[in-house]
Amino acid sequence: MSAEAFAIADTCFLIDWASWRQRDLLFKLFKTVFVPESVIKEIRSERTFEWIASSLASGSLSLFTETPDILSLARDLVERSKLFPIRGIDLPEAICLAAGKMRNYTVITENRGALMAADILEELSGVRVWRSLELITEGLRRELIRGDPLKVFEEYERDTGHRFPRRDLEVVLRELRGED
Amino acid sequence: MNLEEKIERWRELEEEAREMRRKEADWDFIESQPPRLRAALKFYVETGDIRLASRIADMSIEEFRELLRSARIPVIV
Repeated sequence: MSAEAFAIADTCFLIDWASWRQRDLLFKLFKTVFVPESVIKEIRSERTFEWIASSLASGSLSLFTETPDILSLARDLVERSKLFPIRGIDLPEAICLAAGKMRNYTVITENRGALMAADILEELSGVRVWRSLELITEGLRRELIRGDPLKVFEEYERDTGHRFPRRDLEVVLRELRGED
Repeated sequence: MNLEEKIERWRELEEEAREMRRKEADWDFIESQPPRLRAALKFYVETGDIRLASRIADMSIEEFRELLRSARIPVIV
């Protein structure tokens, strides 16, 4: 199965994404998005639970039960991330990264520590880690959602309270407008 | 890019995000909060670490996310 078929999502991503009016784009991009049990335990709000429960019911989301080998790698990653002078990661993100490495899933996260770890730790080389920025960009590129790209990103920022780094957003907008 | 360059680049990105959080935060709101929440919000402004900040506040991540909105602190990733 290709990496594009499966993704695994962390807590911050799901919380943000649940607030976005076009959130079901996620299920047009991936056949199944796994949610670790440790991530589900962190969800508390009715809005997010309702979305997760209905998506689990439809099969768009699937529960990911951590196996001993994934947990072992995740614990190693947590420790390794603390060795560098960057923000470390905690176990829920580490489980997603470990699954990305061992199962070839795309890791979707809104946790900067996870992005740093994937960039810096050698054992995570080759793991694909996407933020909302990359997911929405892919949705626009493949015309799974339509509209002026800037308006789509602004709408996401309004709905979720998230802020895209301006430089990254400008790069993406230039590419989507064919200016690169 | 070697490891040191990568770490330096992340440091710069972290500093940019920190400056934006400091600049856009509603400091009157932050200072009006009870001590625990005030400390958690200031910790978040400086670090961007939502999990630890929510633990300091004794809140779930989602509850803390709402508090960040009220404090007009942007979440930048």
